[in-house]
Amino acid sequence: MRNNRDRAGSLVTHALLIFFALLAVAPILVIVVNSFKTTQGIFGQPFALPNADTFSLGGYERVFTRGQFVTNYGNSLIVTVGATVATLVLATLAAFALTEYKVRFAPLVGGFFVLGIMLPIRLGTVPIIKTMISWQLMDTLVALILVYTAMSLPLAIALLMTYFKAVPGAIKEAARIDGAGELRTLSITLPMVRPGLAAVASVTMLPIWNDLWFPLILAPSKENQTVTLGVQQFVGQFLNDYPALLGALTLGAVPLIVLFVVFSRQFIQGLSAGIGK
Amino acid sequence: MNRAHYRYFLVFTLPALAVYVVFAALPLVNSIWYSLYDTDSGVARFVGLENYVYLFTNPTTSERFWNALTNNLEFFAIHLLVEVPLGLLLAALLTSGRLRRSTGLYRTLLFIPTTLSVVIVGFVWRLIINPLWGLVDFPLLGDERTALPTISLMSVWQYVGIPMIFLYAALLAVPNDVLEAARVEGSGAWSTFWRVKFPLIAPQFGLIAILTYIWTFNGFDLVFALNGSAPGPNYSTDILGTLFYRTFFGSSGQLSDLDLGATVASVIFLIILVVTAAYFGLLHRRLRSYEL
Amino acid sequence: MHAIRASVALVAVAAAVLTSACAPSATPVTTGGGTAPAAAGEKTVLTLGSWRTEDLAMWEDEILPAFEKSHPDIDVKFAATNTNEYNAAIQSQVDGGTGPDLITCRPYDVNRSWIKKGYFEKLDGKPMLDSFEPLALDPWSDDAGSRYCLPTAAVLAGFYYNKDIFAELGLQVPTTQDEFLAVLKKIKDNGKYTPLAVGSSESWQLAYNGLYSIGPVYWKGEEGRQGLIKGTKKVTDPEFQKAFDAFAAWKPYLPKGFESLKYPDMTQLFTLGKAAILPDGSWNINQVAVDGLNVGVFGPPADVAGGQRYLQEMPDMAIGISAASKNKAAAEEFLAWTATPEFLELYVNKLPGFFSMAKQPVTYTNPLAQAFADLKNGAQLTPRLGLDRLSAGTPPFDDEVWRVLQLMLNEDLSTRQATEELQKGLASWYTPQQ
Repeated sequence: MRNNRDRAGSLVTHALLIFFALLAVAPILVIVVNSFKTTQGIFGQPFALPNADTFSLGGYERVFTRGQFVTNYGNSLIVTVGATVATLVLATLAAFALTEYKVRFAPLVGGFFVLGIMLPIRLGTVPIIKTMISWQLMDTLVALILVYTAMSLPLAIALLMTYFKAVPGAIKEAARIDGAGELRTLSITLPMVRPGLAAVASVTMLPIWNDLWFPLILAPSKENQTVTLGVQQFVGQFLNDYPALLGALTLGAVPLIVLFVVFSRQFIQGLSAGIGK
Repeated sequence: MNRAHYRYFLVFTLPALAVYVVFAALPLVNSIWYSLYDTDSGVARFVGLENYVYLFTNPTTSERFWNALTNNLEFFAIHLLVEVPLGLLLAALLTSGRLRRSTGLYRTLLFIPTTLSVVIVGFVWRLIINPLWGLVDFPLLGDERTALPTISLMSVWQYVGIPMIFLYAALLAVPNDVLEAARVEGSGAWSTFWRVKFPLIAPQFGLIAILTYIWTFNGFDLVFALNGSAPGPNYSTDILGTLFYRTFFGSSGQLSDLDLGATVASVIFLIILVVTAAYFGLLHRRLRSYEL
Repeated sequence: MHAIRASVALVAVAAAVLTSACAPSATPVTTGGGTAPAAAGEKTVLTLGSWRTEDLAMWEDEILPAFEKSHPDIDVKFAATNTNEYNAAIQSQVDGGTGPDLITCRPYDVNRSWIKKGYFEKLDGKPMLDSFEPLALDPWSDDAGSRYCLPTAAVLAGFYYNKDIFAELGLQVPTTQDEFLAVLKKIKDNGKYTPLAVGSSESWQLAYNGLYSIGPVYWKGEEGRQGLIKGTKKVTDPEFQKAFDAFAAWKPYLPKGFESLKYPDMTQLFTLGKAAILPDGSWNINQVAVDGLNVGVFGPPADVAGGQRYLQEMPDMAIGISAASKNKAAAEEFLAWTATPEFLELYVNKLPGFFSMAKQPVTYTNPLAQAFADLKNGAQLTPRLGLDRLSAGTPPFDDEVWRVLQLMLNEDLSTRQATEELQKGLASWYTPQQ
């Protein structure tokens, strides 16, 4: 009896999840399938598999001959991973300090960080360019990493603070009594804020990988182009090279999905091993 | 409270503070400053609140502003009412304990849209709902009444992974012994969820709601990718982000106006600030009362 | 103390991640502001900023090699930005103190604001200007008549038609508005094809390929356009009303769901052979003729049989030298080269649909481009109505035209309401109309 009900419940759960997973993935399959077709094939029968008439690898060919996809990939990876790591490190230190040390101006500093979530960073473009020029960072990936880190810190700190607040004080006190320094104490609490780190890593990575504006402004030369900027060359004023565009988009999406799987597995494992279990 | 605390506080916050101040806060303050100046003639002239008065009294600019604000509220409401409950449902299903090895696979598949560039999202949904090539006869994006809800739902499709992953993490953190106790009592999955798990993760909703508010009021990318910087039809999909972009940088038919653009940005900032401050103020008070 | 040292170490790790991203690139920095003048024997690197992403291959493979052959000491890079973000990118870069050495100039009001902000070197007195009529230089001049950009290309607007469909249905190319509507009706009655491949989702093209193409015959081209600019004519005058009426007459002949169709959908509808006529610009020649479709071109119909014909010729592109460039001499050499027959022949034939604005006659090898060029014979030429002067305030006239044309198709806004709204908007800020 009990067993049957469990089985039925599990069937329903799977059915629902399969439905939503299909809803999530089917449109992406449309992109992937169409990237193997000619332009006429894409618009003629957008939901059909490629046939002898419409099959074409021309898009991918142009992606690799016209663009420098490998360079673009490398640049995007360096920028995304660099900015995410820098954000995690700096935000962890700051969020720990903001929750741990009850100094008088702590709320002020915290509030100052939080303000940064509320302004569109594009607004600061021109002063940012001026700073980069005077630091001789124009047209480098470092410029991108710095801006993205600065842009991601406010949210990262705000999120991590809510997680650090939840860490029981007794654990930190115990560590200190054992003679641990402040940084050691911080590292002892880290496993407990792992879900927070996971959340920060994923919300930081996503907009950076897909951003078009700052690569365009701060690192536009061919050597420093990121994937999103590289893809743009297939979007014309009037004429789009659809097969190449879809091919480039398909290839461009893969690393972030891989990154997400790696990050999420890492953190979710820590999660189930950590708090409350 | 001692001096060591001050020292640690400074050392730990300084690196983040330095990067944040130099590459975000100062540039933003520098630009916001323009909202008090008139720079059209080439030299900056201090004009006080004139730009703000102009924004709200010029018939065209004020109409566009209120239109964008209303649209943005709708954009936010759809996210709050569709994306968050859907995220909860998915997180609940993923942690229902009825899946074994497949959890990771489902989680990844459901999160994939979140990782995509808006160029893909815009292109594929436009194709799917295209009256000529797609599956829907009605011009959803061409009708003033349906265009914004349609774009909002595309955005929900893309970003539902975010509330899902937040709530998923919170649900995983529910202690096993609590669940065990419920099971011993003979509580079913449905009632365990609502009686035991849900109250424990409820505080997460405040955070998710305020983040959704901030994100949707800073929203820009998807609308811009789909409809450009003067998003039609008849500005029915114009939100504050596109209004700011169009004013600050100009569009193909409109000249860039740095001062007015900065003015729009600071008004957006205030709109977000008031709500966020209220939220954190309330939260802060509640946390304080817990501590007492 | 321990904590301090350790946190310094952490920051150092972060810094290492940052600097590893800063691997010195062997190639020279290509942004204008950051480039130092080249030392003797070194190549000068110039960047040419453009919004024509689709021309990248043509510049890299055909045009720039030809220039570099005769100028071995200069290396030009074509840096294209998507058209939607071009203005924003150029403005941010130049205001910030960087940007390309050579800037592609938008016509009229946008460029006037760029001139005012001091983006360009003045070209007055340079011999390269002699290759152009003063009229061709005007779209890129300031109020005092100083020149800042050298014209590269103009575009034309007309109607592509599918010759096979016309033959199948026994249709003749229409020459008057009545004939045009009769042709549309016949195609519709036949039911097999969409008469007009027009979608209203991208409202710019309702103006540029619609009203501004068929309207000049009613407002008499330059006469009406200059009248609006000087304030002697109003948008509500009968000649403009008639033009809007002619546009509204298209509505019954549009494809299903036209409200959400974008520009590429229209092109595809036509090239897939599903629509008979595509009102479009000359820039789309390569795309509509793809797959060997049997395509012809006709111009906007005259008012009555034998009446004066008008054609939209839009000054589209010019190139100027950035005032912030550190390589102005080389930039000037390149700019002067774009006025030579070598460049003109190469450019218009590698990029069919873009027409030379220079005095020097040019031969077009592409038959459709030649057909477009032939439309100019006997026609009075006029640029797009809304971009000169009328769009330099709020609300910009051009933007408003896009909006009301879209409303006319989508929501049945009447010609009278549309023109009254436009006149009201214009009169709210444009002094000559007050």
